[in-house]
Amino acid sequence: MGKGAPEWLNSSLWSSKPNQDHLSLYPPETLKPDSPPRPPTPPPPPSPPKAEFAPSGASLSADPGPPRLSPEEISRQSQIVSELSKKIINVGELRRLVCQGIPDGARIRPTIWKVLLHYLPNDHALWALELEKKRSQYQSFKEEFLQNPTEITRRMDESAPAKYEELNTEARGLLQRSEIIHGEHPLSLGSTSVWNQFFQEAEIMEQIDRDVKRTHPEMQFFSGDSYHAKSNQESLRRMLSVFAKLNPGIRYVQGMNEVLAPLFYVFRNDPEDINAGHVEADTFFCFVELMGVFRDNFCKQLDNSVVGIRSTISKLSQLLKKHDEELWRHLEVTTKVDPQFYAFRWITLLLTQEFEFFDCLNIWDTILSDPEGPQETLLRICCAMLILVRRRLLAGDFTANLKLLQHYPVTNIGHLLYVANKLRGPMPD
Amino acid sequence: MVLVLALGDLHIPHRAPDLPAKFKSMLVPGKIQHIICTGNLCIKITSRHSFQEIHDYLKSLCPDLHITRGEYDEDVQYPDTKTLTIGQFKLGLCHGHQVIPWGDLDSLAMLQRQLDVDILVTGHTHQFKAYKHEGGVVINPGSATGAYSSITYDVNPSFVLMDIDGLRVVVYAHELIDGEVKVDKIDFKKASTNQSAP
Repeated sequence: MGKGAPEWLNSSLWSSKPNQDHLSLYPPETLKPDSPPRPPTPPPPPSPPKAEFAPSGASLSADPGPPRLSPEEISRQSQIVSELSKKIINVGELRRLVCQGIPDGARIRPTIWKVLLHYLPNDHALWALELEKKRSQYQSFKEEFLQNPTEITRRMDESAPAKYEELNTEARGLLQRSEIIHGEHPLSLGSTSVWNQFFQEAEIMEQIDRDVKRTHPEMQFFSGDSYHAKSNQESLRRMLSVFAKLNPGIRYVQGMNEVLAPLFYVFRNDPEDINAGHVEADTFFCFVELMGVFRDNFCKQLDNSVVGIRSTISKLSQLLKKHDEELWRHLEVTTKVDPQFYAFRWITLLLTQEFEFFDCLNIWDTILSDPEGPQETLLRICCAMLILVRRRLLAGDFTANLKLLQHYPVTNIGHLLYVANKLRGPMPD
Repeated sequence: MVLVLALGDLHIPHRAPDLPAKFKSMLVPGKIQHIICTGNLCIKITSRHSFQEIHDYLKSLCPDLHITRGEYDEDVQYPDTKTLTIGQFKLGLCHGHQVIPWGDLDSLAMLQRQLDVDILVTGHTHQFKAYKHEGGVVINPGSATGAYSSITYDVNPSFVLMDIDGLRVVVYAHELIDGEVKVDKIDFKKASTNQSAP
């Protein structure tokens, strides 16, 4: 006898009509007592300040408007803030709180993400030292990797006395020819030549440039002619270039820009002025950490290996089969919707293309904090995405289902994360 | 960091069959942003095919190709002189057979003042030269094929690649000597932007 849909799914809460009301929260009494509270979706970006009940500490004048929080959320928010302010942060406790969602993320998300991504150690006393170390390391990366060959060869030359001639002087005469340093010249075909390496990497740099320019065209932060957008694009370009040069094994792969973007946005909008001059360095190392977890998804050679993307996708398949065999069968066997057609993008780009930007930030709160680890959590969320639209999928054929999954409908993120949480395996104590 | 290739006096096919293979292996697309050619690619009338080949080859290296008229460039509408601005520098191009005495640096300096350019690139003598005077710099990239000139048969194939970076230029002279490409450089800079002569 096949396993049907899990019993808790039969609740009318999960009707497949997408709920567009971002602020709707289910009254607590419809939940089973052991279920964790759902994280709400944040209010949409800049709306006029609301003159109503605000959580303590939030200022009404500067903010776009504090979210309307339930008492439970206010309590959780202050627990998070309090844990974050401890001299020695209990990261396990922080994870437990944050993976239920950050009710009012804008102020504290940057710091939380930096702790979760191991950029900031749990001991506050060590923060200043770590930051100093990392930030100056990024500075040297920039100097080492972002100079063009003209600048590099000029530096090589500087050890020799300056042999350049000045124009606009009275003297006439033949210009002196001098030796090139270390055989370096622009047309050099030598494998160790800085010029040759520069031209070989030009293709990668062009790809980075193209992708940076089409990151989030709908957001003024990333796109458009404003000074800020251009400056932000430059930052993205620099960070991806440094990463590519530091990691010759993987270099740059299309899509890395999409994984970088939310990190940069969050840190760039950090209200803490003290971090303002170091957004790139901080973002870079957090990106490196995140890529450390998901790197194998980007590596073509590993596609078919046990750690590559195909293996990850088949894990998703297994997860779906375990929790909703009826849906799994209909999707993969009956309508032959191979998960590679939709899950590839969901997984490699960490769902950045499937949801509104700010909803993504909420999803990432959970992905980054869940004690089960980012990859497992991501898979549970993907599985939840399928389950949430099961009614439509069960009624659809190959074409309709593929279309639906490649253009995932607007969803209440609270629902989604609640369902994802329910799919959790047995937790170690 | 703008790379400009300067070459000329090829005389293909009459005096030389082609650019030396070692030059061609270095001159690949994607690196050079401008090509300035002093003239005398070859005689078009009798060798339309050769002309098309060398012209297409240069175009394939870089689409921004500038050519001035050499005395053998018949049946083509090249100007006698050309000026262009690259970065902070004004460059002038002229084959040089028009300037008498040929290769005379004072006369070339006068032409340069007339064109009002920082760097004058000129050919005809088939001899590499880089010369400085009050008005700027004159560069002769020589003959890229090593074709004989009216003056001498002893010609090493040569061309020039300039790296224009801000107010500095590095001129890389490439010469084929005894079958090997020898590269050396000349470094110069100008004091400030667009100073007009007093």
